[in-house]
Amino acid sequence: MHALLTLLKPLQIFNDICGWFGRWISVIALALMVLIILLQVFCRYALNNALPWPDEAARFLMLWLTGLMAPIALRQGGFVAIETLTQFLPRRGVTLLTLFLFTVSLMVLCVAVKLGWKHVNSGWLFASASLKLPLQLIGLKAVKLKLAWMYLSLFVGAVLMIFATVELIIRQIITLGGEHRHLRDIPILDSESAQ
Amino acid sequence: MLMWFLPLFLVFLVIGLPVFFGLLAAPGLLLWLNGQERDIALLYRNVYNGMDSFPLMAIPFFMLAGELMNRGGITSRLVEFAQAIMGHLRGGLAHVNILSSMLFAGLSGSAVADTSALGSMLIPAMEKQGYTRRFAAAITAASSVIGPIIPPSGIMIIYAYVMGESVAALFLAGIVPGVMVGAGLMLMVKVMADRYDFPVASAKYSWRARGQASLKAFFPLMTPVIILGGILGGIFTPTEAAAVAVGYATFIGLFVLKSLKLQDLPQVLTKAAMTSSVVLLLVGAAMAFKTVVSLSHAPETLAAFILSLSENPLILLFLINILLFIVGMFLDAGPAIIILGPILGPIFISMGVDPVHFAIIMSVNLTVGLATPPMGLVLFVASSVSGERVDSIARAIIPFLLVEIFVIFLITYIPAISMTIPRLTGFVN
Repeated sequence: MHALLTLLKPLQIFNDICGWFGRWISVIALALMVLIILLQVFCRYALNNALPWPDEAARFLMLWLTGLMAPIALRQGGFVAIETLTQFLPRRGVTLLTLFLFTVSLMVLCVAVKLGWKHVNSGWLFASASLKLPLQLIGLKAVKLKLAWMYLSLFVGAVLMIFATVELIIRQIITLGGEHRHLRDIPILDSESAQ
Repeated sequence: MLMWFLPLFLVFLVIGLPVFFGLLAAPGLLLWLNGQERDIALLYRNVYNGMDSFPLMAIPFFMLAGELMNRGGITSRLVEFAQAIMGHLRGGLAHVNILSSMLFAGLSGSAVADTSALGSMLIPAMEKQGYTRRFAAAITAASSVIGPIIPPSGIMIIYAYVMGESVAALFLAGIVPGVMVGAGLMLMVKVMADRYDFPVASAKYSWRARGQASLKAFFPLMTPVIILGGILGGIFTPTEAAAVAVGYATFIGLFVLKSLKLQDLPQVLTKAAMTSSVVLLLVGAAMAFKTVVSLSHAPETLAAFILSLSENPLILLFLINILLFIVGMFLDAGPAIIILGPILGPIFISMGVDPVHFAIIMSVNLTVGLATPPMGLVLFVASSVSGERVDSIARAIIPFLLVEIFVIFLITYIPAISMTIPRLTGFVN
């Protein structure tokens, strides 16, 4: 049990840090998405000049927002699930069932990471239709963004969700061992579960 | 073999696996047992491709807009406006609750947002006036179902995305059904108010006071006009309209009403981002699930089964409503639409039901499912906002659910209810 608690500590710190960065990147991404789309509308009507890149840029941000925010939601139990069954089980049963469910989730995520890595690598072959790194600003040639940078979002999301799930699993095992008083609460960002 | 993915998925759901993982684990496991490992890679890619969509971006934007309006005190202005109009009736606050839901529905596309925004304000107020807490929570939950029926609507954006329909046509088709649900609930409140002697909320407002309340609610009430007007006029796409709504809500909150502070923004953005990330992943997973559904020949089998029950579309519509209602009790509206839409839609469209009409039947039915136990998200939110137990709210909500079921059947059998506005505006032939 002591070993598990020792293992849990760095994992928690890692998840806390990823959560902090994930949250702020997502907040900025969402704000940028709104601004980009408003810019698109503005340019189309006020300047009579439709920009080619806002559509893809906003999707890029949305994918990363999902990849970075979903692990935070998963960690604090924000994924939609039916929790009726747990009401009819004794406390120990609930812990065992939760442990089983986390294990199934972990298996799904591991397969996702394996497939995701292939997906990301296939993305180096294709360039984005409209997104470029504006290197011409510093005197170089503009480089088209590879699609892999977009594909990476879901892959990173799956990896971070694995870390979150492992943390949750260790917590359940510790609870099962009756040592849950040693557990520190998971930081909760204010939110309801999804519609 | 693959036919088993649906029962397996249900088992996963019932034991409490998050819907997102259930949508992937059930088909993934069966594909693996079947030796179709390549198709598992397809499953992953479809999660990604399902999320990578410009039309879907309207969902985070509308969530953000609703969140901003709520934080910026716009909700309270809508409630005040509703009170000025209906507060003097017997059962005043119950009516105010329903009318506020209808007004709020024009700003937000989510029943959950509606419940938490209005519930936190109206449930304590209703309790203070002598309503039981479970009644207050029940009427809040029942009326917030209107949120995704009156445009804008997250559920209809998802339906249009999956089925290739026009978002504008679905939005327009939802207006009258949404108003009907509201009117039906008000009738029920009136019946109950006379019987149980509900209190009035306030003295009758003078026309002058009503004018003042309308003036205060003017800017919030302009939001649906901008959104719908913009989409209908072909000025912007629904996604752009949603972004404009965010810009408008921010501007109003920060500069006109001055009720929103800059330091509120990170919190609001976090909340919207988190909710959206969960919904978007769910949509992606449901799209992946859908591809396996079509690999398994389940749609053909199911269609053959449905058509063997009866050839009369009226009877089939009745049966399908019952099926949808049961599904809605267990599954969230978004995933249910993505999974069942492509299976059921073509059957009824080939029998002569208009695609937009069917979309409304399905959306309204599954939305009402949000307020039914055991998987009624709205009930859970109402419970956490009010502190009342889910099962006691579930009992108190029954009369209102009956009204909503009645409206579902009206919508099903009178196509004109949903089709008139889209036809008149030329969005449906």
